[in-house]
Amino acid sequence: MTDAEVAECLARGRDGDEKAILELFHYMYPHVAKLVQANLPAKESAEDLIQKVCIKVMSHLNQFSGKVPFLHWVSRIAVNTCLNQIRHEKRRPEIRLADLSENEANVVEHLATAPDELDASQKMAASELVEKLLASLKPADRLLMKLMYLDGHNVQEIASLTGWSRTLIKVRAFRARAHLRQHYTLLMKETT
Amino acid sequence: MNPIDDQLNRLFLAARKGDSPDLAPPFGLETRALAAWREAGRSEAGILDMGILARGLIVAILIMGASMWPVLHKTTTDPLSEYMQTSDTTLASDETP
Repeated sequence: MTDAEVAECLARGRDGDEKAILELFHYMYPHVAKLVQANLPAKESAEDLIQKVCIKVMSHLNQFSGKVPFLHWVSRIAVNTCLNQIRHEKRRPEIRLADLSENEANVVEHLATAPDELDASQKMAASELVEKLLASLKPADRLLMKLMYLDGHNVQEIASLTGWSRTLIKVRAFRARAHLRQHYTLLMKETT
Repeated sequence: MNPIDDQLNRLFLAARKGDSPDLAPPFGLETRALAAWREAGRSEAGILDMGILARGLIVAILIMGASMWPVLHKTTTDPLSEYMQTSDTTLASDETP
């Protein structure tokens, strides 16, 4: 859907055409679902958060000015809602080897000793390990790491998604990465 | 042993979620979303009504003020003119032998 089509749908919606609003809803839903799934706080259900974001977007739909592309506007609402949810979670202290499951410990060992990529059976454990590592970061840093390393967004894209400046993103990424490195080094020391 | 940064990069690469989430919205969300949009439109209309009401009130006050002005103006000038008239009469009567 182009921006012109979005504007047309909004105009039709203002005239009372609910089908146009539903078209917009179905257009933005996959985008919202993907963003929320990628930046989901640890203790939050993806479905609940997707619904929350969708309701928020629909409630503010008439406030969309059209100055930015529609999906950018939706993304910013989704990312900020995720960030607010993450802020409610308490930061966990640094993880120790004893906190890891057997599979997660195997992943750490594999990464340290073998140069090859992890196989499909280890990906779930890798994902859980990353979640545990990220949980020790500040909410904003955690979100940034997910956007950067798990979703594969670049600095410019993150800036448009979050509204943060490029400098702030770079500083936060550097700090968060150093923090993760420190944590991971401690884990490695325990395994050896 | 592999360097820490390399291990972290590989860990993040493995943790990337390849599977895309279900693209169809869950049952009922469409209705709820539409209801949220309708509700927002209604509350905006309410705010608009309040604006019209406030403007109407200001216009009513102005009309009331404008219509009362001549009356108020008259009451403030009348005592003076009456006094002057009385003074003139008094002077006139004093001069008469």
